[in-house]
Amino acid sequence: MATLTKQQIGSILAKQGILIAFALFMIAFALGNPKFLTVDNLFSVVRSSAILGVMALGVTFVVISGNLDLSVGSMMSFSTIVVLDLHDKIGPFLAIPAMFLMTLALGGLIGFLVGYLKLNSLIVTLGMLSAIHGLTLTYSGGQNMDIADKEGTWFSVFGQGTALGIPVPILIFAGLAALLGLVLAKTPFGRKVYAVGGNGTAATFSGIRRARTVFTCYLMSAGCVATAGLIQASRSLGSQNTVGQGLELEVLAAVILGGASLLGGSGTVFKTVIGVLILGFIQNGLLLIGLQFYVQFVVTWVIIILAVWLDVAAKRGKLWSPIA
Amino acid sequence: MKLRFALAATTAMAVMTGTASADTMKIGITQNNVGVDSYQTTYEKAFIAAAEANDAVEAVVLDAGGDVARQIAQMEDLIQQEVDAIIIWPTNGEAVIPAVRKAHQADIPVIVTNSNIAEPGFDFVASFSGPDNITQGSRSAEIMCDKFKEMGIEDEAQIVQISGQPGYTTAIERAKGFEDRLPEVCPNVTLMETQPGDWNREKSQQVMEAFLVKYDDIDGVYAGDDNMGVGALNAAKAAGRDGIIFVGATNFAVGYEAMAAGDYWGSIYQSPVDDAEAALQTALDVLNGKEVPFLNYFDTPKITQDNMDEFSKPVF
Repeated sequence: MATLTKQQIGSILAKQGILIAFALFMIAFALGNPKFLTVDNLFSVVRSSAILGVMALGVTFVVISGNLDLSVGSMMSFSTIVVLDLHDKIGPFLAIPAMFLMTLALGGLIGFLVGYLKLNSLIVTLGMLSAIHGLTLTYSGGQNMDIADKEGTWFSVFGQGTALGIPVPILIFAGLAALLGLVLAKTPFGRKVYAVGGNGTAATFSGIRRARTVFTCYLMSAGCVATAGLIQASRSLGSQNTVGQGLELEVLAAVILGGASLLGGSGTVFKTVIGVLILGFIQNGLLLIGLQFYVQFVVTWVIIILAVWLDVAAKRGKLWSPIA
Repeated sequence: MKLRFALAATTAMAVMTGTASADTMKIGITQNNVGVDSYQTTYEKAFIAAAEANDAVEAVVLDAGGDVARQIAQMEDLIQQEVDAIIIWPTNGEAVIPAVRKAHQADIPVIVTNSNIAEPGFDFVASFSGPDNITQGSRSAEIMCDKFKEMGIEDEAQIVQISGQPGYTTAIERAKGFEDRLPEVCPNVTLMETQPGDWNREKSQQVMEAFLVKYDDIDGVYAGDDNMGVGALNAAKAAGRDGIIFVGATNFAVGYEAMAAGDYWGSIYQSPVDDAEAALQTALDVLNGKEVPFLNYFDTPKITQDNMDEFSKPVF
C-alpha cells in the first residue's frame, strides 16, 4: 500500500469528519460501560434507530431538494394507527398496501402544494403536522389502537422478526439505505434532486422539471414514513395516537448532523445513516452510563454540537477559524 | 334535567340563558382535551350521563381542546352566564389561575377535577376532586412487595422504574409515592435506576432494552402507567428474559390484557367514570353546603392477576 501524503490524509479527514466524531463517541461510551459494545446492545440500538432512520432517508431527499418536511412525525403516527386498525378489519395482506396508499396520498398532497403550487415547504409541512395529527385523532376517536390477537399474527415479523440472525427492522433500514443511496448517487433522478436544491433556476434552464422532482421527493418521503409506521406498528402491535410526536425534529437533526445543508444541494444517504446512528447511540450510551435524566437533555445537545464542530473543523482543516 | 352542549361557547351561551329555574343547579364544566385519549372521552360521556340522571342539575359541558386560551375564555363565559358552580380540568396548572380567581371573586365555587392546579391558586378553589397520585404510587409499591414476599425474594430483589414525562406533576407524584413506600414495606428491595418513558410505549421499550443490557438481574419493573409497563414487557419478551414482575400505576386496557395473559402482574384501577361522577358529586356537595375536604380523592383500588375478575377491562 502506498504511503498517504499529508494532503491525502487531510482530504480524507475533510470528507469524513462526521465519521471520526462517530468513532470517538463510540470509544468514549465503550470506556464508560463495557456492555455498550456487546452484540446484543449494538443490535438493539440499531433496531430501535431503524424507525427514525427509515424516515430520515426520505427526508434526506426532501432536504437536498431544498425543502423541509416537518410533517413526518405525525404522518408516522397516522400510518401506525391506520395499519393497526385495518389489520383487524381487513387483514394484514390488505391493510399494509391500503396504509401505504393513504400515506402516499398525504405525501402527494404536500408534494403538490410545495412542488407545483410553489408554496413555502416550512409553512405547508408545519400545517400538515397538526392537520395530520387531527386526522389521526378523528380516525381513531382518540382511542389507543391495539391488535386483538397479538400472538397469532404474522404481522409482527416487520418489527420483531429476525432473518439470518439479524433483526428485520435493521435489514429493512439497511436495504432501503442501500437502494436510496444508489438512487441519489447514481441515477439521473438523484442528480436532478441535487440540481434543484443547489440552484433551482439553473436547474429549470437546464430542462429539469423542478416541480415534478420536488413532488417525487415528497412521495419518497411519505413512502419511507409508511415503512417506518409499519415497523413501529409491528414492533409493539399497538399504539397511541401520539407515537411519532416530536420525531420530525429528531429526523431533521439526524439529516443535518449527517451534513446535509438546510439550504439544499448537498448531503448523502450514507452520512444521514451516520447521523441517525450517532443520535441512537448517544441516547443508549447515556442510559448505560446511567446519567440522571434531566442532565441527559443537556449532554445530548453538547454531544451534537461537538459532532457538528468536529465535522466543520475537519472540512477546513482547523479547529477554529480566526478570520470571519 | 336540561342539558346543552356548547362547542363555540359564546354563541351557544345566548341560547341557554334563562333556562335555569330556581330549583335546578347550573353547573359548568370546562374540560382539558376530549377526544385526545379514551380516558377523557369516557370521562365526558360519564359526566353527561351523571348530569342527565340528576333532575336537579343543568350541565353546561365545554371542552378546551387542550388550548389554555380557549379554556380561559370558557371560564369567562361561564362566569358571565352566572352558573352556580364551575368544574375545571386544567389544561395548564399555572395559566388558568387568574381565570379561577375571577370566578372565585364572582362568588362562583370552582371545583378542580382530575389534575390539580398549582398551589398559588389553592385559595380560589372550593375543592379538588381526583385521583391521588401519591397513593397510586405507594399502592403500586405494596403490590410489588407483596408479590416478592409470595415469591420469597423480598430480601434480594432488584427493580428498575420507568417514570412518566419529566416535569409533569403526575409523573413526579407517582414516582414519589412508590419510592417513599417501597422501603417501608420491603426495605431490602433495591431500586437500581429510574429513567423516563414519557408516557410512551415505544420510548419505554427502548429504555427497558438498555436496562436489560445494563443489568443482568432484574426482578421487577415499576412503570408510571400500563402503557409504559407493556412497552417494558415487550422488551423483556423480545430479549427472552422471563420471570420479571411488572407493575403499573394506572391500569390500561393493554395492561389488563397482559394481566389476563399472565405476563403482567398488577396495576392501579382508575376509572374515568368514577372520576367524572366524583367531580359532579363534589360540586353538588359544595353547593349544598356540605363539608367537603379540600383534596377530595376518589378511591383507586389495587388490581392484580389475583383479583382482576372483579374489574371490567378499562376502556382506554
